[in-house]
Amino acid sequence: MADLLKEIINVVGDDNAISQSPELERYAIEGKTPKVVVLPQTIEEISEILKVASSKSLAVIPRGGGTKIGFGREPNRADIVLCMSQLNQVLEHEASDLVAATQCGITLKAFQGVLKEKNQFLAIDPPHFESGATVGGIIATNDSGPRRLRYGTMRELLIGIRVVRSDGAIVKGGAKVVKNVAGYDIPKLYVGSLGTLGIIVEGIFRLYPIPELSQTYIVSFSNLAELQKMVLSILNSSLVPTCLEVLNPTLIDAISDQLRLNLKKEKYALAIRIESVGKAVRDQVSKVKGICGERGGEGILVEGVVEESFWQEIREFPWSMSVSNRVICKAGVLITDVPRVFQALGELSSNSGLGIYSSARAGNGILIISIEGEMSPIIEATKSLRNLVNSLKGNLIIRDAPADLKSQVDVWGEVGESIKVMERLKSHFDPNGILNPGRFVGEI
Amino acid sequence: MSTKPATKIPNWKKSFGDKLLQILHPDGVISSDDELIVYECDGLTGYRIKPIFVVLPKSAKEVSEIIKLCNQETIPFVPRGAGTGLSGGALPTEEGIVISLARMTRILEIDIPNQRVVVEPGVVNLWVTNSVSSSGYYYAPDPSSQLVCTIGGNVAENSGGVHCLKYGVTTNHVLGLEVVLPNGEIIEVGGKTLDHPGYDLVGLFVGSEGLLGIVTKVALRIIRKPESIKTLFASFDKVEYAGGAVAGITARGVIPAGMEIMDNLSIRAVEKTVHAGYPIDAGAILLVELDGPNAEVEAQTPIVMEVLKENRATEIRIAKDSDERALFWKGRKSAFAAMGRMSPDYYVQDGVIPRTKLPQVLGEIENLSKKYGLRVANVFHAGDGNLHPLVLFDSSKDGEAEKAEELAGEILKACVDVGGSITGEHGVGYDKKRFMHLMFDEQALETMNMIRCAFDPKGLCNPGKVFPTPRSCVEAGRTTYREHPIEKSGLGERF
Ligand SMILES: Cc1cc2nc3c(=O)[nH]c(=O)nc-3n(C[C@H](O)[C@H](O)[C@H](O)COP(=O)(O)OP(=O)(O)OC[C@H]3O[C@@H](n4cnc5c(N)ncnc54)[C@H](O)[C@@H]3O)c2cc1C
Repeated sequence: MADLLKEIINVVGDDNAISQSPELERYAIEGKTPKVVVLPQTIEEISEILKVASSKSLAVIPRGGGTKIGFGREPNRADIVLCMSQLNQVLEHEASDLVAATQCGITLKAFQGVLKEKNQFLAIDPPHFESGATVGGIIATNDSGPRRLRYGTMRELLIGIRVVRSDGAIVKGGAKVVKNVAGYDIPKLYVGSLGTLGIIVEGIFRLYPIPELSQTYIVSFSNLAELQKMVLSILNSSLVPTCLEVLNPTLIDAISDQLRLNLKKEKYALAIRIESVGKAVRDQVSKVKGICGERGGEGILVEGVVEESFWQEIREFPWSMSVSNRVICKAGVLITDVPRVFQALGELSSNSGLGIYSSARAGNGILIISIEGEMSPIIEATKSLRNLVNSLKGNLIIRDAPADLKSQVDVWGEVGESIKVMERLKSHFDPNGILNPGRFVGEI
Repeated sequence: MSTKPATKIPNWKKSFGDKLLQILHPDGVISSDDELIVYECDGLTGYRIKPIFVVLPKSAKEVSEIIKLCNQETIPFVPRGAGTGLSGGALPTEEGIVISLARMTRILEIDIPNQRVVVEPGVVNLWVTNSVSSSGYYYAPDPSSQLVCTIGGNVAENSGGVHCLKYGVTTNHVLGLEVVLPNGEIIEVGGKTLDHPGYDLVGLFVGSEGLLGIVTKVALRIIRKPESIKTLFASFDKVEYAGGAVAGITARGVIPAGMEIMDNLSIRAVEKTVHAGYPIDAGAILLVELDGPNAEVEAQTPIVMEVLKENRATEIRIAKDSDERALFWKGRKSAFAAMGRMSPDYYVQDGVIPRTKLPQVLGEIENLSKKYGLRVANVFHAGDGNLHPLVLFDSSKDGEAEKAEELAGEILKACVDVGGSITGEHGVGYDKKRFMHLMFDEQALETMNMIRCAFDPKGLCNPGKVFPTPRSCVEAGRTTYREHPIEKSGLGERF
């Protein structure tokens, strides 16, 4: 054992490895403490580490900012934690091409900072922005935020990638251009692969110019059906919102005072964000007000710092409510089924006394749900939600939960027949099963 | 089977044909030589191979049974949509069959509130937009071949169009698929909803050029028609100026729906045939189409005008109505066809470069044209850097076809050298597999082969395409690590 450890540590040097308690414990994954934590400085070092790990069947847990390290099933094993934080250089930002390349250990915040110098941005707004989510971690978990309505997710933004395969091979996919159909779409394979197919070391992204102005109109509704009509009429109009978010009453209760927005409690709220050149924003906002007014909704308009903190709260709410007994899920259903899920959430919470907070990307059919309370009713609630969502032909994924819950409810849910193909992909890419073993769907 | 008796076919073929007839109605199996000719090639007519049979299934179940039979008898199969592909992707395999999806043409579901349409693969691209147009929606990817090409073919090639700068290509609009795998199993991946757990197999299938299975159902995203569309037309003395304007427009934060450039040779070809009103002496013309909410388009128009002027536009026109807009586009859309009048033969190249490298690469193309003594007309989706140089040649002249091909290959090299791609929308297929090594090293090709092997270990599904050299599959058994009982009980560990 000592020899193996040494071989791994030698690759990065003593200064870039942690192999002693108590520091090691800080890197435990779901209670599993690794034998060693390494902080490689180069892609070549990562390749060397993986070669050793592969030949000795040592389990490698890639780690970015550690903000989503609890995502996925409990790993079967955890020998080496491979930290990406040292690979944090922006490699290129060609503003006229609206393209940038970066090492993936960089935090999203730092990356956005660099892009902002040329008035551009990576059009993605996942949680953990302030707490150090890295670009690589966001790719691996396919995390996203309210802005996906307009810009999509990493899937749409990642045009090129460099990965280190489990056998140490350094592989490039995609290119520095937005349009490219040469060979299979390797970048897409890695988006959402949770580190099970290789270590994502570099990414090339398509960028967008930072819009001149942003405004958000927030309007309250007590009636879900009315609210849904409103959502559908906005989607079915010529308006081009960047976000269209529905918040449930519990969530509004929780955030309204803190944001000093004086939102109507015990009601649902719809937030419509418009970003464009100034005149186009004002024009669209007045149309939004018109549509709301017709349906008896009246709201408030926010911009600037207030608007920013409102969206930040929506992005971060499940994690900023620090409760140990809670589960965070993401449900994907049809746009028209969102109210049914909200209704079920309301019933669940009045029947069980659980605190259920939820925010929906209403134009995408995605709901972020946080349930807090006693463990056993939470587990029941999660199961019944998954049943509902599955019956609507959607799916429910658990983003974060105590080990207790994970042992009783599968994090991922049913994948169907395609699981066989996924297993075969995994066994070709990682024949020794060393990368995040057991964490992904079907225990991949 | 066809009414004409198939003559002189070996016994094994005949018996294979009989088995196909147990699966399909007789009119779904084509075997006579004169009917098979149609299927010898796709839009790239230089390569031709006659398949042993062409089958026309009507359901996923039939496709599955055909493929299972092919597996039993080790017969390779090639999927085919409308056959408009330009890289030989649907080129048959020797001693193989073609599975045409041309009879799976139903639009299964139109769901306006959820912005989805579900279709069979043989549905023609434009039908999708036609089916939702009256509700104010459209299907965004619009290849110039959209009147005939199929959604199945679009999925396989990840096709683009003239509006993909802003709206993306096929992969950004396909949400779910039903696929018959190369072993005959039917699976569903993705769906009408978003964020399905597991690997993004939809993302892998799109653009996989028919190598990973046959698509039998597709869930598409449709989008709202924009409130306003404005098309600007500008002419320049030099192509480089037009290229500079393109980079300038995006640098100013404007992302038009599309930007298209044509050079002088293309302008002249087009004017001879369709009279789009392009200035015949211009070095280049640029079309810029802005779309979106009225106020946004109004605000962007003067910015674009300014950039055009800064880049020495000699003339700027703004389409005043949809008729004029159609006229502006007419020239661009008929560019390939018009080229037939300029030259007995032409080869359409498809390469991609970063926008900012436009002037540099255009210069290189001009040099290559001189070096080879062949004319090259440039038509391109300038916004996303997708070049379509048309190499003009006369195949009746000795060696000219080869020269043209060589020149076209050198253009690709120039594209890759500046960080671009050997194909932006037409695919690698049969034609470009020899250029794959320009972009991908051994490791990358090996990785792609791993993907192929995960789907098609026997290599029966559209073999001989994409990969520069044939590759076999190593059987990847479940060698995945399993905890030894001793480790599990905590009595020992690997370290
Ligand atoms: C005049 C002209 C203009 C064009 N303009 C454009 C353009 O602007 N943009 C662009 O991107 N392309 C363009 N093309 C290329 C071509 O039209 C596209 O590649 C189109 O998507 C091919 O569709 P198809 O139905 O003809 O497919 P085919 O040519 O029949 O097949 C193409 C590939 O798809 C596979 N395939 C077909 N159906 C299926 C299925 N159901 N499941 C799995 N694999 C399948 C085939 O095996 C083959 O590899 C143009 C072609 C022409 C002739």
